[in-house]
Amino acid sequence: MTASADNQRPAPDPWNIGFGVVVLVLALATLFLWIPGDIKGGFIEANQTGKPEPGDAFFPVILSGLMLILAAVQLAGALFSRKPQPASGKITSDNFKFLLFFYAVVLTGLTIMYWLGPLVVDALRGAGAIDNTYRQLVDTAPYKYIGYVVGGFLMISALIIWAEGRVRVHAILTVAIVIGLLIGVLDVLLHNIQLPPNADF
Amino acid sequence: MEIVWEYIVRGIVDVFYTADGAFDVVPMAMVFSGLILGIIVGATPGLNGPFAMALALPILISVFGVSNEALLPILGFLIGLMKGGTIGGAVPAILFNTPGTPDAFLTTLDGHPMAKKGQGAKALKIAHFSSASGDTFSDMILFMTAPALAVLIENVLDLPEKSALIILSLSFMAAVAGKSPIKGLIVGTLGMLLALMGSTLSGNGPRMTLGIDALGNGLPLTSAVIGVLIIGEVFLGLEDAARERLAKMNVLEDIPDADNSFGWKDIRQIMPRICSSALIGTMVGALPGIGTTLAATLGYDTAKRLSKHPEKFGTGLPEGVAATEAANSAVSGANLIPVMSLGIPGNFAAVFLILAVESVGDFTLGPAVFRFTEIKVIEDYGTIINKDLVVAFGIFTLMVLGNIFNWTVGWWFLRSLGILARVPKTIMLPVVLLITLTAVYVQDGGFIAIWVVLAFGAMGYVLRRLEVSILPFVIGFILAPKLEELIRGGYSASGGDPFFLIKSPLALLFLAAAVFIVVFASRQPKHSDPGS
Repeated sequence: MTASADNQRPAPDPWNIGFGVVVLVLALATLFLWIPGDIKGGFIEANQTGKPEPGDAFFPVILSGLMLILAAVQLAGALFSRKPQPASGKITSDNFKFLLFFYAVVLTGLTIMYWLGPLVVDALRGAGAIDNTYRQLVDTAPYKYIGYVVGGFLMISALIIWAEGRVRVHAILTVAIVIGLLIGVLDVLLHNIQLPPNADF
Repeated sequence: MEIVWEYIVRGIVDVFYTADGAFDVVPMAMVFSGLILGIIVGATPGLNGPFAMALALPILISVFGVSNEALLPILGFLIGLMKGGTIGGAVPAILFNTPGTPDAFLTTLDGHPMAKKGQGAKALKIAHFSSASGDTFSDMILFMTAPALAVLIENVLDLPEKSALIILSLSFMAAVAGKSPIKGLIVGTLGMLLALMGSTLSGNGPRMTLGIDALGNGLPLTSAVIGVLIIGEVFLGLEDAARERLAKMNVLEDIPDADNSFGWKDIRQIMPRICSSALIGTMVGALPGIGTTLAATLGYDTAKRLSKHPEKFGTGLPEGVAATEAANSAVSGANLIPVMSLGIPGNFAAVFLILAVESVGDFTLGPAVFRFTEIKVIEDYGTIINKDLVVAFGIFTLMVLGNIFNWTVGWWFLRSLGILARVPKTIMLPVVLLITLTAVYVQDGGFIAIWVVLAFGAMGYVLRRLEVSILPFVIGFILAPKLEELIRGGYSASGGDPFFLIKSPLALLFLAAAVFIVVFASRQPKHSDPGS
């Protein structure tokens, strides 16, 4: 038995199916795990006069239920529709590698930004050069700038060098100028603001 | 009518004078500096008005604080950025065939050929004149329609109808803003769900925090929106720029200047195209979710159809530049119609205006703003007045100031910006990343803001790569608390009737329209609008 040309369905787009499956799983997990485990209030509760009123779970349940229905519609459309569905974009392994690389650079930069100041202060304290902790020096130059300048400079320079495939002096200078400007505006001109990571100490 | 004038005058006075009666130059200066910075940003490839608004908002809040007095200076700067960003995009489009903003792509079609003929300066003058005309026209429509619409809505709509109207707006955005309406609805719902993290309306403690104490007050709103809008775009732009790695600009060689004069004859020639495009841009802008790119496309297409010589479009025709610039600029004012009258943002620029209003002072956008309460002075008590309405007219005054600055000094600044268009994305985007991370840290005072920005940035990147519009996600995220309040209020007011939403004929009509729009859009072949 052969299907006529009219009855032939377009080949399902795996990305459209995948999108539906991910949302379906997310909606189910929200409905049956996240909401019951992470919301103290109920769906409908009685108020002080005994009348029913929506609890904290009311709207999240409605939304995750709606998401479940939409995921089912998305899946049904991707699997059974006779009309061609809008083709989905794709995330290739190259995109994924880029994202990993990008986050590795950014997280490394942020780690340096967070820890370098305290480490330098600890080292100086160990050497007997200063008596204070980093917490006591978060508003004292140059300690308050160390992490932000070095971490920010390395993070942004690394991204530019990677994107351009070469090291250019004027790109590096631009980064230095931008960091200088940010410190000038946010720390020197304004007084009630703390640059990263100082508000965390 | 007298009371309307009184509120208008008070709104204007609010911009120019402090509460103590001293002359206040700050809001005006903020509009001016926002406009200039916006033009610079628009002229820089890889950046645009909403980008700059996102970066500026946390810094502005750090500078001015969150008191009521801070609202007008902050909004003034953001409005200036919004207006300047639109017009600045024409510079690289005309001079280097590189649109600074997505909607300026159509400006390249006739603008760059004009520049190649040695008429770059004339093309820029036409772009500026048309853009300022479209923007001014659209603002006038906003001033006239938003109060009337708001009064109508406030008088006619109750809790169920208002809830249904938000659902209709979200459905409309999902239907028009991306390739797949169902995916748009899904991400809109996801945005709403995530917005509920940390909040509570029943006093039972924070909900859905995943055990993270720092989320007890909810996700930092600005950081989350900036993450998905800006950082996602930075990821994408940087990856694409790195892959191309050429990023070569189509720089013009030295071309001798041709006739660059721009006078009444030229204005008469382009005025019909400006009028048709301003009208189209305003209509498109008034509908939430439709980007400036569609307005520019429709404006250009209409101008071509109405022209006696359509075959000359794309060869360096002033009407082509005028049609696109007037259309995309007319979107910006009209986009504020749903914001001012409903409190529903229709595009990314409007999102940041709403964020500013939510973060600063106690002013709230929406239909209740335009209640013309009688002004009464009561001894030993004070003045009874709708302060929100005064602020609303203050915002309109800021927009008028933006237009005046745009008409008077915008052009002088615009023509000197060719150099900025040469800054490569490979430098600009990482710099934007550092400024963003610093700005959100400074606003929220901790690394939690940075983690939220990066997490939402990854989400923005994934959605963009999957070609799912992020606009419904962002709008859902912003509107969720309001929608929850309305639905819970409506449910309680109905005495626990689960069908309260469909018992009102008007609410039922809105909901039916929402379903119809999504079903209808799902059946139409679509192309996504990069502008949205």
